[in-house]
Amino acid sequence: MDKIFQLLASLRWQDIVDITLNSYILFRFYVLFRGTYVFRVLIGLTMLWFFQQIAVSLGLIVTSWVVQGIVAVAAFIIIVVFRNEIRNVLQARNIRSVLWGFTPKSTGTPIQIIVDSVFELARKKCGGLLVIPGREDVSELVHSGITWKGDISREMVLSIFWPDNPVHDGAAIIQGDQIVQVGAILPLSNQSELPSYFGTRHRAALGLAEASDAIVLIVSEERGDIHLAKHSRLRRILSKSKMEQKLQEHFGIYPGDQEEHKKQRLEIVTAALVSLIFITGVWFNVSRGLDALVTLNVPVEYMNRKPAMEIVSASANSVSVDLSGSGALIKSLRPDQVRVRLDLSKAISGRNSFTITADDVSYPPGIILKNISPSEVTVDLDVTIEKLLPVQVDWVGKLPEDLSLVEAQLDQEKVPIIGGKRILDSIKTVYTEKVPLDTLKEQGSLVAKLALQPASLKVADGGRDKVTIKYVTKKRHLPDALEAP
Amino acid sequence: MAIPKPVICCCLILLACLLTAPGGFSAEENAAGSTAPGDGQKAPKLIQALVCENVVEGIPQEPAIVFSISRGKVSCYTFFDPVPANTFVTHNWYYRDEPSARIRLQLRPPRWATFSTIQLRETDKGPWRVEITDAAGLILKELRFSITD
Repeated sequence: MDKIFQLLASLRWQDIVDITLNSYILFRFYVLFRGTYVFRVLIGLTMLWFFQQIAVSLGLIVTSWVVQGIVAVAAFIIIVVFRNEIRNVLQARNIRSVLWGFTPKSTGTPIQIIVDSVFELARKKCGGLLVIPGREDVSELVHSGITWKGDISREMVLSIFWPDNPVHDGAAIIQGDQIVQVGAILPLSNQSELPSYFGTRHRAALGLAEASDAIVLIVSEERGDIHLAKHSRLRRILSKSKMEQKLQEHFGIYPGDQEEHKKQRLEIVTAALVSLIFITGVWFNVSRGLDALVTLNVPVEYMNRKPAMEIVSASANSVSVDLSGSGALIKSLRPDQVRVRLDLSKAISGRNSFTITADDVSYPPGIILKNISPSEVTVDLDVTIEKLLPVQVDWVGKLPEDLSLVEAQLDQEKVPIIGGKRILDSIKTVYTEKVPLDTLKEQGSLVAKLALQPASLKVADGGRDKVTIKYVTKKRHLPDALEAP
Repeated sequence: MAIPKPVICCCLILLACLLTAPGGFSAEENAAGSTAPGDGQKAPKLIQALVCENVVEGIPQEPAIVFSISRGKVSCYTFFDPVPANTFVTHNWYYRDEPSARIRLQLRPPRWATFSTIQLRETDKGPWRVEITDAAGLILKELRFSITD
């Protein structure tokens, strides 16, 4: 018990917000997709994930490998299969219903008109098929429909399904208070145990009811029976009140039915509590799970350096950072999430020492900083100046014995160099890269790059990083007696 | 009355000094007996400065800008005309801008040629320069050359 109190006492306000937010998201997810095909598939995927964990813990190699592969592509599968549902949520005009609404609002579908129309069709023994979609989009399941877009009325419904009407075959799709399509082809059910007196119309209705959360009303041409298909089941409807009740349930309307209201509220509250408990469990597992330690090598970032200064050298370009946290957090930690930044705004020219503190290190929440090594960094800064320096060729190699290099003219005798003052103060000459003597002819020209040391030195505007050397050689005339030993 | 011998000796010595000193007495002679410009005397004028393999009988041999280490030595030859008064110049030898040798050389009127020589070692390969400065430290000339294989 003490442990629980300790755990609760260690919670920060950010942790409470974290748990509440994620619980609410999970809860909204349930409310938006409950009873739909999406939810059933997600439950299936979750069970698959648990199955994978069991297979791994039991050491089932091939099973865990296969399930792991399926779970890995699960996110992709969800996006592809449920793209319409996801699009509906993201494009929702009524954001309030997405964030807060509990029941799908009645879209003004005239239930009474539908009920009267269906019973009239039944009385006249006119076959009919009316589709009232739920939250799932049926457009992908329905084919070859003809756009209608007419306001529902009893006369409209009767005229659509009149036997001589060219669109009487097929289903009429209702959206709100309009019939939006007629003559639509529905997918057929594959159930084999249907009674033989159920014709194609009934199979089509059942097919759609199996594949979506739509309600389909079927009027039999032969017998004048009325059936209702929903959630893969066919029910015979004998009275108007029964049909009305089923349609109201479909739209989430429960007028005067206190029992139904209570049941709904209980379901919502249970879902909210389960979400909260589940997320709390996940949160504690992630943030307070088994402790893990990790050491990362993090580069030191120097910030706010004055523009007139440059960093000559630093005692350390990276530091070792020891971090600890729950196993889940440490495993998911990426090296780029940990940064070490030193502020050079108060640094002066010359040697500056900095102590790296926890304030200089940024890392994700839930992770604890244990140690930094080295904790002291020395940075050498220098003021940037420009200096005009003479250029000298760095000759290497060997000339032929009988030749002597007597003259070398440079097209750039002096070059402006930008660099740290302390470095440039000690430099009197800029040398070229090594220029071999072996390939020299009697006279000619060649191009050599400047070898700037250290590499922080740069050629300023107005200078070039190369020189053209025009050289002249001549034959040697030293008498043998005076040749050097 | 006869003049004492020590007095006669002192007078003779004094006379000898007067006769041999070219400019007469100078209040600011240095230890080597040469003067620095700024005493109202004109500075010596550098006519020729070069780096060569050797100087034989006052003549520079094989002036160049690149010398082989196998020669073993290298010389810097300078010729001044006119040299108004006894003075000196310094040949400052630098290897990769690091001071290597500093050789002071006397100059005597009316004109004077002088040279300095350094011995070469295997580690002396690379770019060199010689700064020729007068007694006041003014750089009269800078010569750049390289020692190679």
